[in-house]
Amino acid sequence: MQPGETARAGWDEPAVSREWLAEFEAAAARPLEQRMRYAFIRTYKPVLDDAPFRAFDSMSDYREWCERSLPVWLGFHR
Amino acid sequence: MAAFEYRQAEEIRDAFARHGIRYLFIGKSGAILLGYPDTTQDADLFVEKSPANASIVQALRDLGFALSEPQAAEIIRGKDFVQLKNGPFDLDLVFAPDGIESFAEAWSRRVEVEGFPVCHPDDIIASKRSANRAKDRESLPRLEAFRDYWRQRRR
Repeated sequence: MQPGETARAGWDEPAVSREWLAEFEAAAARPLEQRMRYAFIRTYKPVLDDAPFRAFDSMSDYREWCERSLPVWLGFHR
Repeated sequence: MAAFEYRQAEEIRDAFARHGIRYLFIGKSGAILLGYPDTTQDADLFVEKSPANASIVQALRDLGFALSEPQAAEIIRGKDFVQLKNGPFDLDLVFAPDGIESFAEAWSRRVEVEGFPVCHPDDIIASKRSANRAKDRESLPRLEAFRDYWRQRRR
């Protein structure tokens, strides 16, 4: 079964794939503290991690800065 | 710097409560609190803008963020987005997230997870859809599937 195919009758659309459903149910069985330990990671992101503080007047200013300054592969471009 | 931990989420909850600041976990970190299995690097907080932004500065300093006076002044002046990497963990403060009308509306729809206030998954999705970055577009189908799963579990 491919992601996107219905795994269990009775689930609303959009269908939850069997693979995703298994992941959701495994996560639901873990305590929050453990879920957070698995979820929050540290990797270096160039430019983004190179300043200790940034503040933007508006979200559009922030989005423009991301597009102007960050490598495309980080995924912050529209 | 170490990754964000449950204990630090508790510290945010306690510090913001002490200073009377209303906030919501948003973005992928909010989804993770709701049970969404994925990875992320920082905590994102949707913070209510108020004349008492000075109390946010105090709460952040209580948490261990080393804010200079000019940085504190920028927060107090009411920026819409603040990115902090000068403390014990990375923290994004969002005062006007894309795709969400107002803090009050998001607050009325919030979900409490072990005492942590979290944006409703519909608001997290609306925010990501409106931001429309490549990483948002990639994550939306799975996040929407999680929202449907989460709804079914709550029935």
